[in-house]
Amino acid sequence: MATAEEASVRPARRRVGRPRLRPAKGWLALPPALYLLGLLILPIALLSLYSVFLLTNLIGVTNVFSLSAWQDFFPSNPFTWKPWSTESVFWNRFTLSMCVTLIVSLVVTTMAYPLAYFLAFVSERRRYVFLFILLAPFFTSFLLRVLAWQVMLNDSGVINSALWQLGILSDGQPLEIFGMGIFRTWFSVGLVLGYSWIPFVALPIFVVLENMDRRVIEAAQDLGASRFMTFLRVTLPLSLPGVIAGFVFVLIPTTGEFVTPQLVGGTDTYMFGQAIQDLFIGTAISWNTGSVLAIWLMAVVVVLIAFSSRFLVMDLREGTE
Amino acid sequence: MDTRMHRRDFLKSSAALGGAALIAGCGSSEGITQNTEAPASTGPVSYGGSIDAEPNKLVISEWPGYEAGGTKAQTYGMLAGTSYTDKYGAKSLKYADIGNDDKVLSAVKAGQKFDLIHPCVGYVEDWAQSGLVQPFDTSLLPSFGNLFPEMIERGKFNGQQYWIPWDWGYSSILYRKDKVDPADAQSWDLFWNPKYKGHISMWDGGSTPLRIAGLLIGAADIDNMTDEELAEAKAKLIEQKKVNKFYWTSEYGDMQPAFKSGDIWITYSWPNDYKDMGNALGFDKVEYMDPKEGKLAWVCGFVMGKDTASPLHAHEYVESFINHDACVDLINLFAYGASDSTVQKSEVKDQKLATKLNIGDPQALEPPVHLEKYIPNRDKYQQIWAEVKAS
Repeated sequence: MATAEEASVRPARRRVGRPRLRPAKGWLALPPALYLLGLLILPIALLSLYSVFLLTNLIGVTNVFSLSAWQDFFPSNPFTWKPWSTESVFWNRFTLSMCVTLIVSLVVTTMAYPLAYFLAFVSERRRYVFLFILLAPFFTSFLLRVLAWQVMLNDSGVINSALWQLGILSDGQPLEIFGMGIFRTWFSVGLVLGYSWIPFVALPIFVVLENMDRRVIEAAQDLGASRFMTFLRVTLPLSLPGVIAGFVFVLIPTTGEFVTPQLVGGTDTYMFGQAIQDLFIGTAISWNTGSVLAIWLMAVVVVLIAFSSRFLVMDLREGTE
Repeated sequence: MDTRMHRRDFLKSSAALGGAALIAGCGSSEGITQNTEAPASTGPVSYGGSIDAEPNKLVISEWPGYEAGGTKAQTYGMLAGTSYTDKYGAKSLKYADIGNDDKVLSAVKAGQKFDLIHPCVGYVEDWAQSGLVQPFDTSLLPSFGNLFPEMIERGKFNGQQYWIPWDWGYSSILYRKDKVDPADAQSWDLFWNPKYKGHISMWDGGSTPLRIAGLLIGAADIDNMTDEELAEAKAKLIEQKKVNKFYWTSEYGDMQPAFKSGDIWITYSWPNDYKDMGNALGFDKVEYMDPKEGKLAWVCGFVMGKDTASPLHAHEYVESFINHDACVDLINLFAYGASDSTVQKSEVKDQKLATKLNIGDPQALEPPVHLEKYIPNRDKYQQIWAEVKAS
């Protein structure tokens, strides 16, 4: 039997289970909850209704439940993988856009890494000046920056004119890279997308590199690792959370990108985001088909976020323990 | 020192990304309601009461450049609308870019409200049938009697005047005379000519490219093509993509700059583009084609929103556009035609242009010109155009 003394030193029982809700503070969540409900959940619900024809603004089409817009989108039955009879042009655009997005994200991340490395390890005291320079173009409108690329890239633009003046190209002959012109092609779309997102990728990598424990690097070198091996075995693995974050930062928004391909792209560079925009407010209006595409894109983005955040959260937890 | 990315750092970066995405993706959200009731009344309408009792405010869905004279948005010095803004003030008018006929019709069907909208003749029946607009009381429009009767007729539905015509013009191919062989420039098929690959720009114009393809495949009625004809037109347009540099969406935003810079030599255009590009490059270098299959043509005008609280203001506004002086100014400013039949050729400043564009000619919109018409199966046209672009 425990004595009174023993009882006094017994640790207090840990409070388990859910903490008590304090109703007065619960109200604080109401404005953001209403905001999300009104501007996120409700529009998605409406999109869902449009996607199955329970709402429609097509002339002469009555509101009768139908999965035809979904069937037209998927190239095959998602449950049986049996191909539908018709080809889905929007599905093809989706896969093409995803490929472009992945390539752009990989290239941009690869290019942003040396930039972040330079800022974190080489630029020393001037790193914030360089960081400011890197971010300076972002003080102007995104649209203006893309339009500026039009001036640079068009057939008689700054780049082609300079090459003509220098005699590198014959007059009137526009520059071609990888067998395509530099404007209104995949090249211009990729270039401008890359330009737009490089700083956003460089920033998280820079943050990780700057916070990196330099003693680990010194230790690797003390143990005889070359600079390259130190980078490969120590710096790069430790900076991977930043790389993944940067990759995700460019991947997710570019999957739905429509402004850049509209302004610097051509007939062939039609991206999935443009199709959604066109189906809602463009020249090929069908809110029902557009809703299917929009819901599908949202689902893909949610999966991408869930997949990538799994790595990030794991690393973040490890880092804080 | 911890070398991993901290949650706070991640959140900071996320916030930066979120902010950027928000800026890039800001758009308006519209309430969604459905109203597809067709109007039943056929009797004459009248709007009583005093104009002073109405709210002095009009929200107008308009083509950029057509904002009333006196407003800040009007940068061309257009006269139309001035008599209204002089009386009621420019601040009483709010404009939204119409985008295109399909877009505004969809937006209004989805619940967006306008007092006045400026659609074209092919959509009059869509609007009237939708129950989203109300008829005008033509007795409140002193200049109404001067308008071309043929155009007035096209604005009638169930015996009521739902649409007041104002501006008209052709649609055809604008091309560079110094780059394109005149022998190649006889037909709409110039858009398909591989000789000019990469220098061609078709309009991202919904049903219009299909109508052009319809002319080339010999469709019986380009505004009501059969499923077989539509399939053929679709294949024709997919073939055109091989030579098309880009589909232009804004005449001032992307088409005219590309034409001026020499990126494109062949483009779909309206008379004002011929005028603008002629002034910029010289009329010896540009030509407005008269295709052997016939030009396309359009007439646009005003419809009045069903729920407008200011119908009398709306009538005054329309009158400030269709009056004689405003119509003369429209012709001189944009090289478009006007619905006022009393405009004399002598009032047009550029006689050469007036002759070229048949301004003032009552036969101007007769065959072989293909004036825009109501398309009964418009949803199919839209679907096919979406598929062509995505193909």
